[in-house]
Amino acid sequence: MEGFGLCARRCTALGLGWLASALTLGGCDGPDPARKPVNLSQGVPLGAVLAMSGNANVYGQDQNTGLSLALAELNGKGGINGKPLALKIEDSGSDEPGANAAFNLQINRGVLALIGPTLSQQAFSADPIAQRRGVPVVAPSNTATGIPEIGPFISRVSAQSSVIAPLSIAKALQLHPQIRRAAVFYAQDDAYSSAETTIFQKALTARGLKPVTVQRTQLNDQDFQSQISAALQQKPDLVVLSLQAVDGGNMIRQLRELGYKGVIVVGNGMNTPNIYPICQKYCDGILIAQAYSPELRSAANTTFLRRFQAREGGAIPPQLTAQAWTALQVLAEALQRLDRRQPLQQTNLAEARKALMAELLSGTYQTPLGEIRFTPEGEVIQKDFFVAQVRMDASGKSGRFALLP
Amino acid sequence: MELIQLLLNGLSLGAVYALFALGYTLVFSVLGVINFSHGAVFTLGAYFTYLLIGGKAGANGLLSGLQLPFALPFALALPLAGLASALVALLIERVAFRPLRQRGADSLLALISSLGAGVILVNLIQLLMGAESYAIPIGTLASLPASLSIGGARVRTVQVLLLAIATLLLVLLSVWLEGSRSGKALQAVSEDPLTAQLLGIDSDGMIRLAFGISGFLAGVSGGLVGLSVSIAGPYFGISYGLKALGVLVLGGLGSVPGAMLGGLIIGLAEAFVPAEWSGWKDAVAYGFLFLILVIRPQGLLGRPLDTKV
Amino acid sequence: MDAALLEQMLLGALLALSVYLPLRCGQLSLATPGFYAIGGTVAALLSTRIPAFAGTGASSPLPALLLEMALAGLLAGLLALAIGGTVLRLRGIYLAIATIALVEILRVITLNLPFTGGALGIFGIPQPFAGASGYAGFTLVLLAVVCWLCSRLEQLRLGRAMAAIRDDELAASCVGIDTAAVKLNAFVLSALLAGLTGALAAHFLNSWNAKLGSFDASITTLAFVVFGGSRTWLGPVIGGLLLTALPELLRPVGDLRLIVFGLVILLGPVLFPQGLITPQRLQGLGQWVAALGQQLRVRISGVRRP
Repeated sequence: MEGFGLCARRCTALGLGWLASALTLGGCDGPDPARKPVNLSQGVPLGAVLAMSGNANVYGQDQNTGLSLALAELNGKGGINGKPLALKIEDSGSDEPGANAAFNLQINRGVLALIGPTLSQQAFSADPIAQRRGVPVVAPSNTATGIPEIGPFISRVSAQSSVIAPLSIAKALQLHPQIRRAAVFYAQDDAYSSAETTIFQKALTARGLKPVTVQRTQLNDQDFQSQISAALQQKPDLVVLSLQAVDGGNMIRQLRELGYKGVIVVGNGMNTPNIYPICQKYCDGILIAQAYSPELRSAANTTFLRRFQAREGGAIPPQLTAQAWTALQVLAEALQRLDRRQPLQQTNLAEARKALMAELLSGTYQTPLGEIRFTPEGEVIQKDFFVAQVRMDASGKSGRFALLP
Repeated sequence: MELIQLLLNGLSLGAVYALFALGYTLVFSVLGVINFSHGAVFTLGAYFTYLLIGGKAGANGLLSGLQLPFALPFALALPLAGLASALVALLIERVAFRPLRQRGADSLLALISSLGAGVILVNLIQLLMGAESYAIPIGTLASLPASLSIGGARVRTVQVLLLAIATLLLVLLSVWLEGSRSGKALQAVSEDPLTAQLLGIDSDGMIRLAFGISGFLAGVSGGLVGLSVSIAGPYFGISYGLKALGVLVLGGLGSVPGAMLGGLIIGLAEAFVPAEWSGWKDAVAYGFLFLILVIRPQGLLGRPLDTKV
Repeated sequence: MDAALLEQMLLGALLALSVYLPLRCGQLSLATPGFYAIGGTVAALLSTRIPAFAGTGASSPLPALLLEMALAGLLAGLLALAIGGTVLRLRGIYLAIATIALVEILRVITLNLPFTGGALGIFGIPQPFAGASGYAGFTLVLLAVVCWLCSRLEQLRLGRAMAAIRDDELAASCVGIDTAAVKLNAFVLSALLAGLTGALAAHFLNSWNAKLGSFDASITTLAFVVFGGSRTWLGPVIGGLLLTALPELLRPVGDLRLIVFGLVILLGPVLFPQGLITPQRLQGLGQWVAALGQQLRVRISGVRRP
């Protein structure tokens, strides 16, 4: 055993030494890429960080579609004054450490700006990294309060729920003035749901409709019989849901199957055709406020719809796809303006990023979402919002979000 | 809320847990190891069911647009999906469990490699079918009403069906285990594989059988739960794995009726948590689990643990 | 290599060591993520609510970090002390399940307490280091210290008692080792380590929420130890470093990334049942290095030793 002990000690020392040196050497980053000129050899570098795996992967998938369609459109029209856009997409997974890792990876690659991340929760963790390193971030779909306030480099094209949500309540009351009793459901372990339900409840109370019951669910729940039977005892005629697509869809289906016949208003998490397979024919009639309507008549939306339907065979684009397209579009337009004033190949990366952010915030854009601008903090100012009602077709397999006047 | 409604809520929740746990416990009873790929096979069963009833794969996976040239009725698609899942489970046994068993390795290692198998399966599903949700049409239970009224309380018909099928499967499984030769052989292997081998029982064959049955149960459960709540995506079955662990322990690791009982009890416990405290619902389930382990580790119906000297 | 990835790897190695400690005396405790979460919550709360810890602007002073880590470790250790006696009476898979239940209970408590930020968690946690390199350097030192302590453990009485219990608990108690006390010690040490790692991680990730200490983390950290080898302290370290880095290193593979990762986790235990680092391999490595050193000496001196 002695020989082993001696060897073990030597090996321990050896191992530690090797480990320490490898890590130290590895830990030295190269010279900061930000001080060098922008690397345009592969095209104008932009990065996206999306949730392509994990529970939020279906959102990431929709966003990915939007980005690739926009990329094709923009490069087809000449890119940035003749230089093609090079967009690299990295998977953040559905958790914060993954988003942090993806952000760091993209920033070290020398991207001019970042699009993402998918979830508001990820944004709170990863955006400060971009802020510290002076990289502009355009969030396509974060709706929680406080995100642009993370720093001057953080912006978003997705209007916050405090602006959108009350519109659906207003519309519901307009269509059904006899509503007296509101029941609210939300997922208490989900950041988006908890934030949005506060807004819904405030809007309801402001209208004299303090909720008769507030039921809490967990994000992974799929059976809501307990919460529904408790709520139905209060005989509500309006149900307001702040849930994601899957649990929301199941909630609606189970509400209807258990006999609820009243009005249902849903929040932003259900703003996706992904609800159709879940609630099927029961999706019919639900009201939702949207930042994007496929039925908006505008040049930008027509271009977007044409590209989408050519690729996806006639389907209707989800809001997330339109928002992702918009994020890339505004960055591209800002880059075009910037490049005309001060050619990118002559600027170093850090300056280019800063100038891009300023240029981004100063513009007005005609996008599939309608006309948008930014506040100096990076919050989006959107001209039009929409309230839609889901209309399912006869088979119950598919439907549309019909824009309400 | 009235007692009947609470009971129905609890049974509705518990039926799903029980279904999931039935196959889970079979592998544990035979091998003494938790098969972390069970949730993935459960998910796979749901997808198989969807394809067999004529469903079409969406636009986002590699198999985009795939649709089988036939559409089976649900009642036929379900057992076939179960068989397909059984085959996958056998494959997992061959790759992740058997090599370790043959080397006499720690059962801990099988836990980890089964985890790897689960990760591969789930991501493979995403690669092939995309991340979006798939529907098993609501109209599948065409003639039945959407919900039933029992003693003034409402329960969804599909959940009653789930409970009925779980009970049926439990009865069939128990009868087979106690009554048939191979069932008894399986029990012998689960008590002591070496002695069973010495008595002329093909232990390896029995283990394969257990995995096959477990896979079948997982697949059928997946299809049934898919009928109830639709197939949310590749991670559809994963969230049940953890609760099912609690179910197993409560019922008694390795006891088939225990899995059913445990599932229903945990479902009831969750249903009885008042609405104001629903955030603590999960803590109730795990707290239960913790208490049972500390007070009576063999669970309600499990074999008492003995210490070998 | 990116400093942020390095930091993530080092944290993984620390967590792996935390799982390794109870395993060293044969106890399969998966409670590490629970204590990790406690540590992170403590640090997040202290640095965002108490001005003395918060420092100026977005940066916090280093002594504050050290104090937070100490407090986090202390709290985790105390909790471990309180429940360890009960929990450690269980054996094998039952202990594992009990600790998994514990992790989930802690997660739900953290989620529901009014002051921990609920689903959103706590964000905007002040940064003691300007960039990831600072964190990596600090954590490297911490890891080296912990590794050194673990290697010292082999020599100490406690370490040998742990090894004895691992080999045969009944026999160990027969020769007079207080098995309950030794197991409790290991459990508390593991909790302490997990707690202070959590405190550090909260600052590094700059936001913290209940989901960071969950069942998934239990299984991942276990995989670190099983994959790397559970016989010596170097195994969990290597396992933690490698398996944390692997998903990132596999990015070039694209869509197949997680499938390949799953394949590694599937085949790892099958191909290396004792883990990557085993005492035999270390011994072999030591002999190989010694032989190499001999060759070099010969070349340099130009004389052949008989």
